[in-house]
Amino acid sequence: MLRHAFRAMGTEVELLLDVQRDAAAWDVLRRGEAEVERLEQLLSRFREDSELSELNRRGALRCGPDVVRVVELAVRARERTGGLFDPTVHDAVVAAGYDRSFELLRNVAGDGLPRRCGGDVVVDGEVVSLGEGVRLDLGGIAKGYTADRVAEMLATAGPCLVNVGGDLTVRSGRWPVAVTDDLTLELTAGALATTGRDRRRWRRAGVEAHHVIDPATGLPAATDVVRATVFADTAADAEALATAAFLGAELDVPRVLVLADGRTIVAGALA
Amino acid sequence: MTSVVGRVYVVAGTLLAFFVLWAGIAARPWAAAAASDPRVAALDRREARIRRDAAAAQAAAAERWAAYRKKVAARAAATAAAQPRVRIVTIPAVTSTRTS
Repeated sequence: MLRHAFRAMGTEVELLLDVQRDAAAWDVLRRGEAEVERLEQLLSRFREDSELSELNRRGALRCGPDVVRVVELAVRARERTGGLFDPTVHDAVVAAGYDRSFELLRNVAGDGLPRRCGGDVVVDGEVVSLGEGVRLDLGGIAKGYTADRVAEMLATAGPCLVNVGGDLTVRSGRWPVAVTDDLTLELTAGALATTGRDRRRWRRAGVEAHHVIDPATGLPAATDVVRATVFADTAADAEALATAAFLGAELDVPRVLVLADGRTIVAGALA
Repeated sequence: MTSVVGRVYVVAGTLLAFFVLWAGIAARPWAAAAASDPRVAALDRREARIRRDAAAAQAAAAERWAAYRKKVAARAAATAAAQPRVRIVTIPAVTSTRTS
């Protein structure tokens, strides 16, 4: 099995390909890495010259197919989760202090005050339009989309797993994936994503904050759930559903919840 | 003078006769007679029957193909249900999912 790991999108990316070691396989892996970099350049809110940053500055923009697709996925996920997953949490997460790539987060800024979420996002063909004062954070769902896209590329070479910071997609083969220290799930198809407050957290004025915003309050979510892992057809869907599960949604999907008291709840088709 | 008028009448008469003949031939008066030929009528009936039979065969084939596709889809769904895409295992993991 070939394994290619690198850092991108502010996290660790892992490409696993279950084929013979040869030049063609390594070439596919390198093209996978290039695709991750290309998508980060389009979808990162931390890059001033990304298409997403341009959209957030202007409020409306004729976008390329990837940004349009991810925004469509995000809007659809917001409808499907009843607003628990929401791409318009940008200002709320910045106000909470997460205003730059997590590796650079030293002196936390932001006023810590709530921000209104749930603003208008309209996709009309290639044009994405945002409501007044609305800015998008596509962070998690962009990672999921990237995992799905790169898996499509790698699948042409053989069974593969693409893991973008915990949002992972598999194509054929058998892939055991650790969810907790004691729980491993084997995937033969589909995707897995985890949302939680055990990483990407910081202290601001003595108060612990994290990156998962509850759109209802505009603040980092206060919940007994430490992290939620959800299985779905695609990593983009899994990411949105994991956020919803973290915020308390009762979903009819295979899922694992780790609670603050140490309990692990296995639900859906896994129970 | 008289001979000139006579020639004109002859030419006009010839032209008229030519067009009348042409119209008569173009009308194909023998075609109706051929249609009433019992052998042609039998061929027409046979052609119509063959067309009907072909349409019925095509409809039957389409129906059987749809039933076959339905059975294949049901079998694929049953196979997928029998082999879940995700399950709990106790073997070493190749990677981990964690908070993204």
